[in-house]
Amino acid sequence: MEKKPLYNIFELLILMTKYIKLSLKSILEYKFDRTFITIAIFCREMISVVVMYLILARFVHIKGWEYDEMFFLYSFLFLSYSIFVLFFAGMRDFASMIYSGEFDRYLTRPLGLMFQIIVSRIDLSAGLGHGIVGIILFTKTAFSVGIIWSPKNIIYYIVILISGAIIQASIFMFASCFSFWTIKTENLRNMLFFNARRFSGYPISFYPGIIQKLLMFVIPFAFVNYFPSQFFLNKAEMNSFWSGYLYLSPAVAAIMFVLVYAFWKQGVKRYSSTGTSM
Amino acid sequence: MRAYVEFAKKAFQNNITYRADYVAGVINAIVMIFVNICIWKAIYEDEQSVDGVQFKILITYVVLSFLMQCIYGMDEYHIEYKVRSGSIGLDLLKPINFSAYVFSYNLGILVFRIVMQLIPALIVSIVLFKMYPPFSLSMAACFVLSTILGYLVLYNLNFIVWISSFWFYWTFSLVTIKDAAVMILSGALLPLWFMPQFLVDFINLTPFASIYYVPITIYLGQVPMEEIAMVMVKQLIWALGLFLAGKVLWRIALKKLVVQGG
Repeated sequence: MEKKPLYNIFELLILMTKYIKLSLKSILEYKFDRTFITIAIFCREMISVVVMYLILARFVHIKGWEYDEMFFLYSFLFLSYSIFVLFFAGMRDFASMIYSGEFDRYLTRPLGLMFQIIVSRIDLSAGLGHGIVGIILFTKTAFSVGIIWSPKNIIYYIVILISGAIIQASIFMFASCFSFWTIKTENLRNMLFFNARRFSGYPISFYPGIIQKLLMFVIPFAFVNYFPSQFFLNKAEMNSFWSGYLYLSPAVAAIMFVLVYAFWKQGVKRYSSTGTSM
Repeated sequence: MRAYVEFAKKAFQNNITYRADYVAGVINAIVMIFVNICIWKAIYEDEQSVDGVQFKILITYVVLSFLMQCIYGMDEYHIEYKVRSGSIGLDLLKPINFSAYVFSYNLGILVFRIVMQLIPALIVSIVLFKMYPPFSLSMAACFVLSTILGYLVLYNLNFIVWISSFWFYWTFSLVTIKDAAVMILSGALLPLWFMPQFLVDFINLTPFASIYYVPITIYLGQVPMEEIAMVMVKQLIWALGLFLAGKVLWRIALKKLVVQGG
């Protein structure tokens, strides 16, 4: 049954800020703990950066990729992930909302379900942990790899980061939707997501064709960092890919979101409570 | 003694119920090995001067490191859970040694990981990645011994971090930072010979190299025969030192323990 929206955009924005305030309040209740967790996540994410740094300190360049270019490529992953967990953490934690019965509460409220899920969670610790790594890498490299930060490039960059966040959120949401059918996919999801992310830390040209295809069409991390950074860096190896890929990231994000949304609608229709609601 | 064997058995059975987890563990290890080999291949493509032999040594290093990561996995939050839920109070009333109980529990996990993760990952690695066999039979024996010592060093280091749950209740942060330090400083992700000298000098003052770097270099035959005993004694000293530190900390922790309700 189609009904006209209960709230206009303006009211939704006010609601959103209220939700965010609530989340922040509950997060900042444990300031010391949260700071410590943020530091821990920062350290964990720095492992791969430090390893890459040590390798490049020794070998200077890999397959024509210089130190700055590699870190610039890497910074996309951290920044977009940071945006994702700050704004779409609900899409990541959605499965647990079903198991805990929290989802039932949302069903009873006169507000869009997807909206409630998205605004109900902020992962500030992970957002900051990843975000700080990303900002360090970005500021160290963005002005030394020969990018002219013209308005056009800045807009492209922002659009890419948001697209990257939506692509990652969609991957998580897709896996979470299986919990409507009470299928647990968390292990599979983490495995696919974090392994794909590991691959994408380095240029996809390092990998054999099948892995490249996988990162382009199945778990499309190539559109989160590889093609966007090629837009800025223009490396010769881009000749082996279709040049249109440079601009496809927003489309990939939109398609993924629409597909996941449709899948999610199916799930909601089929949903019956686990009976654990509080 | 029988009781501890039972604890280990129970840990083994607990783990075997989570089938998806162990399949994921094997696949993760293989993917990680594969990613790293791809990266090293790309590096060596640029470096014309490096001959094929050295590349193969590196591949072997990477494969061994990730296979060891498979079996070095322990239950990082076992003690934390017991402290927070209060069930540690009951455990302390039982006529068992709690530290020995935790160790046997982790040994059960170790056996599980050897059987269900190491062996499949090893078979795949041998077929896919063409690693070197051990330098010699005696080196292979030394490698196994050194890996056991490496496990003990890591276990005792972990135990100290776990005990900190008596003070912190949530140990995620500390465990994660400890893991980060181990991954980088032990040579698990990058052989020490690629690191700058000042970092190597620092690492030599810490127990970290004993965990991954020492066993792997023994396997590769990079440690001269006459020095092997020396490096293993060093591993043993670290294992004992950390064990004693853990014991002391455990004493202090027990005095500190407050069980809420339980």
